[in-house]
Amino acid sequence: MIEKYLILAILLFSIGIVGVLSRRNIIIIYMSIELMLNAVNLALLAVASYVGSEDAHVISLMIIALAAAEAALFMALFVTLYRHKRSLDTSIFDLLGDKKATQRSTVQGNTNA
Amino acid sequence: MNIELILFTILALLTLSSAIAMVSVHRPIDAALSFIITLISLAGIFALLHASFLFVVQIIIYAGAILTLILFIIMFLNIKDENLPKEPKKNLWLLGTSLLTLPFTLIMIKIINSANFGSCTQLDENFGSIEAVGKVLYSSWVLPFELISILLLVALVGAITLAKREESDTTKRVQEVSQKEVS
Repeated sequence: MIEKYLILAILLFSIGIVGVLSRRNIIIIYMSIELMLNAVNLALLAVASYVGSEDAHVISLMIIALAAAEAALFMALFVTLYRHKRSLDTSIFDLLGDKKATQRSTVQGNTNA
Repeated sequence: MNIELILFTILALLTLSSAIAMVSVHRPIDAALSFIITLISLAGIFALLHASFLFVVQIIIYAGAILTLILFIIMFLNIKDENLPKEPKKNLWLLGTSLLTLPFTLIMIKIINSANFGSCTQLDENFGSIEAVGKVLYSSWVLPFELISILLLVALVGAITLAKREESDTTKRVQEVSQKEVS
């Protein structure tokens, strides 16, 4: 009877995808990623109890450790981004994007002319 | 109706509703608080799956450490409502992406329903206990375990380097403040 656990895992994963795709608050995007990792953990544990081996428990332990490392880096990123931009909006963080580069090149072109 | 199904239904409803609340609320502090409910009820579902060690780990690390870190950062940044991203079409976006992911979800659910799992294997008395998981972890998973420790160390160093205020930054700010005082 592991179908219900797997279906719950799929639903949680889909909710995580919806959160990542539709929100612009970077903290909520991060928590949606964590939700997807948790859904994977749930699927792993369901399969482990079906097969009867503990290997999947170790894998989900590793996923939790990865999530902890990821959490530390994300928190450092939030602090740095908020210090520089005073915002949590992902549409503002486009430093490496094309928009700024084209703007700057047009500005330079104007000054050169 | 057995007790396992009742417990599973309650926990699954709690998990799903708080996950949906987490995705759709506006302020990050509300999202973090509802995410705690998601994680704790997921830990209960882990316990239903005979994973007693993972149940403890989930509560200690996820609900205890990671969520405390998120709440700490949210309160530490002291985000005002006007600094939050304005999402005027948030509900429309949520609806659109839900429609986008709906086919994926339905296909996966259909696949699982069509798979014939049959009955579970008979589990040991101490399946998923800390002793059994530890034996597997330290016998066939030693190398990944050591690599994870290196990864944690690298993440620690990286987080400190990222979040550290640069020297030139602070001196500039001190100069600005002193100039303001002078003027």
